[in-house]
Amino acid sequence: MADEFAKGLLVLTGGILSWMVLSGWYTTESFEEGQLVAEVTVSQIDIYATIALSLREGLFWFAILGTLTFWVLIPAAREARTMWANRDSSSE
Amino acid sequence: MTDTESDHDPEPTTDGGEDVRADGTGIVAPDDETPTWRERKERSQGLSQLTYEYFERARREDQDLRTESTYVERDVLAFPTWPHELIRNLSITFFFVGMIIFLSATLPPHIAAPADPSTTPAIILPDWYLYWSFGLLKLGPLNPELAILGGEKLLADRTYGVLANVVVVGFISMVPFLNKGAARRPVEQPFWAAVGVFGVTFAATISILSIKNLVAPIIDTHLLFDLTFLLPFVAGFVAYGLLKTMREGYMFSLNRRYYRLRPPK
Repeated sequence: MADEFAKGLLVLTGGILSWMVLSGWYTTESFEEGQLVAEVTVSQIDIYATIALSLREGLFWFAILGTLTFWVLIPAAREARTMWANRDSSSE
Repeated sequence: MTDTESDHDPEPTTDGGEDVRADGTGIVAPDDETPTWRERKERSQGLSQLTYEYFERARREDQDLRTESTYVERDVLAFPTWPHELIRNLSITFFFVGMIIFLSATLPPHIAAPADPSTTPAIILPDWYLYWSFGLLKLGPLNPELAILGGEKLLADRTYGVLANVVVVGFISMVPFLNKGAARRPVEQPFWAAVGVFGVTFAATISILSIKNLVAPIIDTHLLFDLTFLLPFVAGFVAYGLLKTMREGYMFSLNRRYYRLRPPK
């Protein structure tokens, strides 16, 4: 259980840190307004910008879904499996 | 007289068979584990006493088990500095140093234009952790206009705000004297936990009030002023009610944990 918590925390912090770096490079107008969540600021979207922007989008969902997986889905599945096993044994 | 009595009728002795000295020389100085009279007094009532008795009983039974067993205890007071402590501390240090280097390399901060000393900035604010004090300076609407003075205020609004700071700091410094802190868990003393929730909530709301011109697009200023003083009471009452109802469950789980660890024979 504690292991799953550490994995979820790692996914959350690591994902958001990488997302923050890419956002600082490509979607930050200035550090006083529109920080990290502004529109794309580079003038031309070359191959690097394409890779970085899709990676940024992916990292955002990786952080959210990965954390949900380790903190909610996997423990819930385990609980459900335990409940199911107990139900079977008690009914017999 | 005593000689003749002890010859044919020996006096009943105490446990050790030693004489009871009434001159005070037999008193043993308390060691570290002996609770002081203050500690005994603080744990003399309510749930804190119950918790203390449970843990004390558990500790004593552990002690009995240890006394019975043949395992030889060694005097391990701590872990050695090297390698245990240093490896841990160095890894934490390296992590934060690495994070600083990583962030400064990937996200170099924008360096703004130098400050212009001849113009005043539009928004002047203290650091965020002083917002509560800044908010207390904005209590002008609470400053009563006295009819006896013909609608005049007794104090200027700024004096009133400074006095509000004195009142709040005074109350905070009084709390340790009002409650000695015998409880280790909020359920043990719901009232004082509620006072704490009230204080934390008030710190948050008064901080938001201090930047009322910045949050004006989000929330109406008059509503914000009212919520600043209502929300802490709401949070405090809710916390009190919750903790009060949690007491029974707390006692139940204390019992259950106790009997699971040491099932009755």
